[in-house]
Amino acid sequence: MSDLSHLHIPDGVLPLWLIGAGWLVAIVMLAVADRRVRGTEMARRVPLVGAVSALMLVGMSTEVVPIAYHINLTVIGGILLGPWLSMVAAFVTVIILALAGHGGVTVAGLNATVIATEMVAGWALFSALTAVLGTSRPRISAGVATVLALALSTTMLVGIVALGGAPATHRESGAFDPATLSFSNPFSEGVVTNTLVAAEAHDEEDAEPVGGIAVRRFAITVYTLGAAGWLLEALITAAIVGFVARVRPGLIFEGALAQPARAPIGDEGLH
Amino acid sequence: MDITILDTSATQGTSWLHRCAPAAKLAAFALMVVAIASSVNVLVVASIAACLLAVATSCRLPAGPLLALSAYPGVFAALFAFAAGVDALGAALIVGRAVTAALAAVVLMLTTPYPQVFAPIQRLVPPVVGDAILMTYRSLFLLVDKFASTMTAVRLRSGLNRRAPLRSASAVSRTLGGVLLYSVDLSQRTHDIMYLRGYDGRLVVSARSSDSIVRDVALVTAAAVVMGGAWLWRTRWAELNPYAWLPLASALIAVLLTLATTLLRKAAR
Repeated sequence: MSDLSHLHIPDGVLPLWLIGAGWLVAIVMLAVADRRVRGTEMARRVPLVGAVSALMLVGMSTEVVPIAYHINLTVIGGILLGPWLSMVAAFVTVIILALAGHGGVTVAGLNATVIATEMVAGWALFSALTAVLGTSRPRISAGVATVLALALSTTMLVGIVALGGAPATHRESGAFDPATLSFSNPFSEGVVTNTLVAAEAHDEEDAEPVGGIAVRRFAITVYTLGAAGWLLEALITAAIVGFVARVRPGLIFEGALAQPARAPIGDEGLH
Repeated sequence: MDITILDTSATQGTSWLHRCAPAAKLAAFALMVVAIASSVNVLVVASIAACLLAVATSCRLPAGPLLALSAYPGVFAALFAFAAGVDALGAALIVGRAVTAALAAVVLMLTTPYPQVFAPIQRLVPPVVGDAILMTYRSLFLLVDKFASTMTAVRLRSGLNRRAPLRSASAVSRTLGGVLLYSVDLSQRTHDIMYLRGYDGRLVVSARSSDSIVRDVALVTAAAVVMGGAWLWRTRWAELNPYAWLPLASALIAVLLTLATTLLRKAAR
């Protein structure tokens, strides 16, 4: 459950201004990323982003051990793509997940921001740790980068939920209250003159918090469950990075785009 | 997440919803999501879910995948509700909204081929993002196949064992590493194809025309009515909440009628 840090904020839990802010941040992020990657090598960047995003989706839909745990591969995605394309890949992944029923649709902007942060932080931390530890210890660099990146994104999630505001009340939210149910004919006095009932049936003072978020309890639960997930994700990420570093080290230490492009098959004469 | 089922149903289905214009379906989907997200009464959310089930039944969408895919986010929403410490009704609302929104998304994806779903999004976002969405979905099929076949090979060699989770995790990690290398090579091959076909920085998806404008308008109008009802309930909840059972009962009757009609038509054949 390392992806507790994102994707599972359902629709309708967060206030409208926060959802709008999430979309605004995501749009700005995409605009900046587009500006930085636009122009050269689009034909190479697009399939690469597609392949890495698909890889993350495969990871997110794969149960690793029998505890309903699934991994993100966001840090590996960040290492392969670098910061700007990571932002694009994060948005693409979230949109496809939302349309497949995984994760909220309205909160896709926030989710994209959190995943992008995870990927960019993973890339930055891995690069920094590799610079310090050298290229001979990619597993350690990847593992530490993964734990820190996931801790950061989980903290972002808790921050987002905390920003969501104070708990609403029955009176304020209009939530369903079984005590007010009436099975009498609502149209007994005619459709137009129908006054309906029970508007004054419950006092505002009786209203109890409903639908609000206990941030402290939420943070404790997320950090407790998340910490185990971070470690498991770090172990798997370290294993994958170690494996790839042995067979294709350039992919890990330079990024996928730094690898030399070969001429398309059958078109060698043009180059 | 079995996307093959989604794609098969979307491309091979012939129901009234399959034949609607993708733009109309996307508009209806957006309205339904707004209705679900803005509803705070769990019975209203359940009514919207029942309406969606009636639509799915009338289109004969595969019930198993539909319900499984829709229920999946409910598990995580329940975890979210537990972590948030809300009461039972609050938890039911959180789970209900997550499942109903997923139901709307799955109905859309089961009745609309993915290029048609992503085409309008592609027009709104920068080229690299829009094209990457299409490319991701295409790559996903290939990677899922590759991962599944590799995992089968690992399983046949006893690489996966629920009693040995560490060894299993190690095997899955190596498999994912192999799939990662495959995905990078796949992107290179796709680059070759795009280059040879003259990719100029924008993939073009031609919009699918509608069979019936009237049907499209009716679909969007119905979704707008649902959204209007949800908004009315949100703003006039004090008067309406005592009768929250009414829309749910109506929607459930609609589900039963649709189911009966579908079964009768099947029997008549």
